[in-house]
Amino acid sequence: MNDREFLIGSGVFAASFIIYLSIGAPHFITGRLVMFFSIVLFSGILIYSTRKAQRGEDIFLRTIPGLKAVEEAVGRSTEMGKPVLFVPGISDMDQVETVAGVIVLGHVSKMTARYETPLNVPVSRAIVMKAAREACKESYLVEGRPDMFHEDMVHYVTDEQFAYAAGVNGIMVREKPAACVYMGKFYAESLILAETGNSIGAIQIAGTASQSQIPFFVTACDYTLIGEEFFAASAYLSDKPELVGAVKGQDMIKVIILILIFSGVILRMLFDLGYLNMNILELLTVR
Amino acid sequence: MLWKRQIPILIVSLIGFATLLGWFFDQPTFKSFVDDDATQWFDILAAFAIFLGGLNLLKLQTQKVLMKQKGWQYSLFAIGGLLFAIVAGFFVKGNPEVAWGAHVTSKGTLFKWMFNYMVSPMQATMFALLAFYVASASYRAFRIRNFEATLLLSSGIIIMIGRVPLGSYISSWFILYLIVLVGGIVVNTIFKNKQYTAVAVLAGIILVTVTGSSMGWPVDKPAVFYLPYLQEWIYRYPNSAGSRSIMIGIGLGIFGTSIRYILGIERSYIGE
Repeated sequence: MNDREFLIGSGVFAASFIIYLSIGAPHFITGRLVMFFSIVLFSGILIYSTRKAQRGEDIFLRTIPGLKAVEEAVGRSTEMGKPVLFVPGISDMDQVETVAGVIVLGHVSKMTARYETPLNVPVSRAIVMKAAREACKESYLVEGRPDMFHEDMVHYVTDEQFAYAAGVNGIMVREKPAACVYMGKFYAESLILAETGNSIGAIQIAGTASQSQIPFFVTACDYTLIGEEFFAASAYLSDKPELVGAVKGQDMIKVIILILIFSGVILRMLFDLGYLNMNILELLTVR
Repeated sequence: MLWKRQIPILIVSLIGFATLLGWFFDQPTFKSFVDDDATQWFDILAAFAIFLGGLNLLKLQTQKVLMKQKGWQYSLFAIGGLLFAIVAGFFVKGNPEVAWGAHVTSKGTLFKWMFNYMVSPMQATMFALLAFYVASASYRAFRIRNFEATLLLSSGIIIMIGRVPLGSYISSWFILYLIVLVGGIVVNTIFKNKQYTAVAVLAGIILVTVTGSSMGWPVDKPAVFYLPYLQEWIYRYPNSAGSRSIMIGIGLGIFGTSIRYILGIERSYIGE
């Protein structure tokens, strides 16, 4: 799709929505209109940045130490002749963090294929097992090492949270992997896993969007991807322009949100002082 | 290529758009698809997938036992546990008065016995280990290595003491005397002069004593040095500010990633 077609498509979408609104917007929940417009606007910014990056614009992506360390960790495992352990969290594929974790696994498995390092991926959900296997299989194929891939490198342990933690801890203590990578959605088992990894002297890299688990990972792991860094991992590791462009788009959205926060505070202050009749909180509250 | 690439991307885009729009439209059929049917589809898929998982577990553990790999004895327990759960779940109720299906939660059945006396205690054991791991992790986090670690240590101590009853008995003046002594360490570190340090500490002690005497030594005044108030301030302001900024970042990351999937920009999940 070229720029002209893209603009025409956007125009048709906007015109259709205006017509839909003008006929009374049947079935549309009007209390969520601001949120709808925000999503359309932010999606537009992401698409714009992606297209710009695809056209060859040079985009600077700051170094993320945790992601830079992934290759170092795989290299260390290779030198020590020990496996890499990848834990994709304990949630199913309906969680975006698990999907992001499986995507990072795809990149990690490319490295293990390149360096001929054993990879061990214990999972706690059968659907994640299938998805992770596919990701690994594709990576080994892309790297030209399908002979090194075997399905059991991604294996199911259990759905139960602490039974899974016990199982993974057992693998750590018996196999002593040189690198442990935790990328996905974690709950209370995060510290149990990370502390065991620490006790066997493995280099540990974690990434999660589970806010309450971030302090545990920061304490016990060598590198931690905090929040959005975890979601930028795919862009960083693949270096694909469209993904890097989307990361830039996210930064632009962040600037807009910052401006909205500051202007919201000022507008609310003016409302409280009686200089303004419009309550910004009423407008922005999603019902 | 069509089955491995285009069709999966199309399914992800369609379901993604439908789920997103389900939040904005209250058309009953559409709403019921998004809220109920789609999630039930996922549950059905997951239920079938568990067979794959179980078989994989059985295959790997059996291989370990047959090949006498390292730690094969543990695999015997894994296989035994799996078979026992299958028997208790599908073949032996243990209580003929309870109907099939209800036997997994009813008292006096083999499945319930297994849950109460095997699964629950083992889960509790693993959870209890967390206390020791928290202690060892805290020890590492609170070691004074640099300015940030020192800040973390001070905040941690204030929060811990301020949140227990003992904290409310510690007077603000005691904290002020402590601050004077810490100030003495800072002066000594900067000037490396005993006289300067002595003068600074003495001046501080006199100032605190005079002010305290004139105010009647109230336990919670000045409030800024009273631990229960101070911990509340740390928890509500610097801590909330930090966690909210992380929350905004996470939200944006999730939004950006979801939009990338829905629009087909991110295709790594199908191996591209």
